[in-house]
Amino acid sequence: MSAPAVAAPAARPGIGRTIARNQWVVGLYLLLAALLAFTFLIKPGYGPADIESLAISVLPIVFAAAAQAVIVIAGGIDLSIGSLMALTNVVAAALMAQSGEVGAVGVVLLVLILGTLLGAVNGILVVVSRVPDIVVTLAMSFVWAGAALLVLGSPGGSAAAWFMALADGTFLIEWLPRAFVTMVVVLAVIWIPLRRSRLGLSLYAVGSDRVAALRSGVPIGRTKIAAYAIGGLLAGIGGLSLSMSTGIGLPVPGPYTLGGVAAIVLGGVSLAGGRGGLMGPVAAAFILALIRLDLVFLGVTSDYSQVIQGVVLVLVVMIGGLVELRRRRA
Amino acid sequence: MKHTRLFGGLAAATVAAAALMPAAVAAQDGYTIGFSNPGGVGNGWREEMICSAKAEALASGEVTGMNIIHRNTDAAGQLEDIRSLISAGVDAIVVNPADYEALNPALQEAADAGIVVVAVDAPVSQPTAYNLSNNQEEYAYLGATWLFEQLGGKGNVVEMRGIPGHPADTDRHEGFQRALAEHPEIVVVKEVSTNWDPATGAQQITDILNAGTQVDGVWTSGIDSWIVDAFITAGAPLVPIVGADNSGFVTQLLTTEGLVGAAVTNPGSVGGAGVRLAIHLLDGMAAGYEPGPEGTILLDPQLWTNATEEGKAALAGAADPSLDPSWPLGLSIPDWTTYTKEQLLACKAPGEA
Repeated sequence: MSAPAVAAPAARPGIGRTIARNQWVVGLYLLLAALLAFTFLIKPGYGPADIESLAISVLPIVFAAAAQAVIVIAGGIDLSIGSLMALTNVVAAALMAQSGEVGAVGVVLLVLILGTLLGAVNGILVVVSRVPDIVVTLAMSFVWAGAALLVLGSPGGSAAAWFMALADGTFLIEWLPRAFVTMVVVLAVIWIPLRRSRLGLSLYAVGSDRVAALRSGVPIGRTKIAAYAIGGLLAGIGGLSLSMSTGIGLPVPGPYTLGGVAAIVLGGVSLAGGRGGLMGPVAAAFILALIRLDLVFLGVTSDYSQVIQGVVLVLVVMIGGLVELRRRRA
Repeated sequence: MKHTRLFGGLAAATVAAAALMPAAVAAQDGYTIGFSNPGGVGNGWREEMICSAKAEALASGEVTGMNIIHRNTDAAGQLEDIRSLISAGVDAIVVNPADYEALNPALQEAADAGIVVVAVDAPVSQPTAYNLSNNQEEYAYLGATWLFEQLGGKGNVVEMRGIPGHPADTDRHEGFQRALAEHPEIVVVKEVSTNWDPATGAQQITDILNAGTQVDGVWTSGIDSWIVDAFITAGAPLVPIVGADNSGFVTQLLTTEGLVGAAVTNPGSVGGAGVRLAIHLLDGMAAGYEPGPEGTILLDPQLWTNATEEGKAALAGAADPSLDPSWPLGLSIPDWTTYTKEQLLACKAPGEA
């Protein structure tokens, strides 16, 4: 990265840069709005119930993307996100089967702590072993997936009724799905304080330039472990969101590791670290889901649908890269 | 503001494309049927299931469009797919479920929207959904009974199972045990789990033959032609062998010198049968069928043996070298599917070019 300035956006009058960064996010939300308009156009009856379905559907991928985003911003990558989600999902389902409605509150807290700890384990292994992140977390993905099968050998368990209701139905008005409100509240509670804290600044600093961060007195190892722990927390929430939508625990990991990576790439998080946020990946998760949905509405064969999703991803990211290049030359 | 303009351009292009594109799944006179399959893309059995669903929709003449979501995903992903089909406004949804319980929230939403739901291949617990599956217990009972009768009710057999814990394997084992109980002089000298893996099964039977165990017959849960090959490789005299309706095994039954055996069907065309049931339900002509897991409709398998002239004719009728070798040969299901073989192989849904 040739942009160490990102490490301290507040300390330097990098307003133009900040706008440029937000421009990508603004663009994504415009694209999302256009896709929604397109959806209403091809499916005039598209209504509140359908928006609700969309919001529930994107929950797991949004949290997978958020988890990955925090880690990637700090210069890492976690290929065990999908497995972590499976493990926290089955632990939640197995415990809730015995806890009852009130006890489920404790289960949720426990699973959040578990996710954070497991994420921290990933981080510690990466920092201590000095083996590349991608290798350590790939290996750990098998460990967590195996552990999930030990907890539940086959799909089972249950979820508390109040807990499933967090993603079901609408909030105040019929166009506002409760799943969406839950998602925004959870992300805001974690992300906004983090972003404003010293730790949040350190995450960007470490991801954007390790040496510069080190010289500025940022504790590299501790910051990275913290990033993995927060990623683990968000993956745990992702696992809980699977419980929320299915009502049970599924021990075999779903397609969330790579799905999350796709969403953050489209969402403007640089895989090289140090750049991006959560607003972009959230929009990207909705965009990818809407494209899938529109292709169903248009009656496009699933095989083509996969190809089209991939092409859209590559095109948007490429266009973004070209624009960035031109902007730098200008 | 270059970014913004660019995205604005994209948005405009999207809207323009929408205006140009005719709505593919517009409201029409006939039914629209959705199909959701969450795994096994590229697997012969699953592909046959999809093609049979398309062919049955076409052959019925009552379906004007299909919406098929056929991708590898998990139960949460299939929830999304089912909800997409609900949003698309289909009249019925046929689903090969990823899980017995997990799909219920979306299946309930489908019921609330007045959409008929049929689960094929494996049942779902949702009380409003109809279930239609191949009868795996009967699959094993039929084949095992044939084998034991062929041996004159007396002798040593090997039971080569599938994946332990898989519902179909459990059901098949029960059927095998039922047949065994009716033939007290049959001895199971060895019970192995092939994991439905050809290499594993071939190694297991080779080990058994090398150990000098007296084997009079072999029942397999579908790893069949590889067992025949292992006998031939080991130079052991062929004994009666029971397998599935896999193309390779059927060919062996017709051509291999000295092989006596039977193929039991496990048709992927259960997908077509599911579409047929959905159409019956939409037409209000499915009296006698009950939703919920208790009402599960079980399709009985057929047995084709080269020990009888009739069976040989059935085998010869089914064998087709032009077919994909990974496809099971039970291409149609009597009383349920109405399409022709050409329609199945064409694999085109109504309105599909």
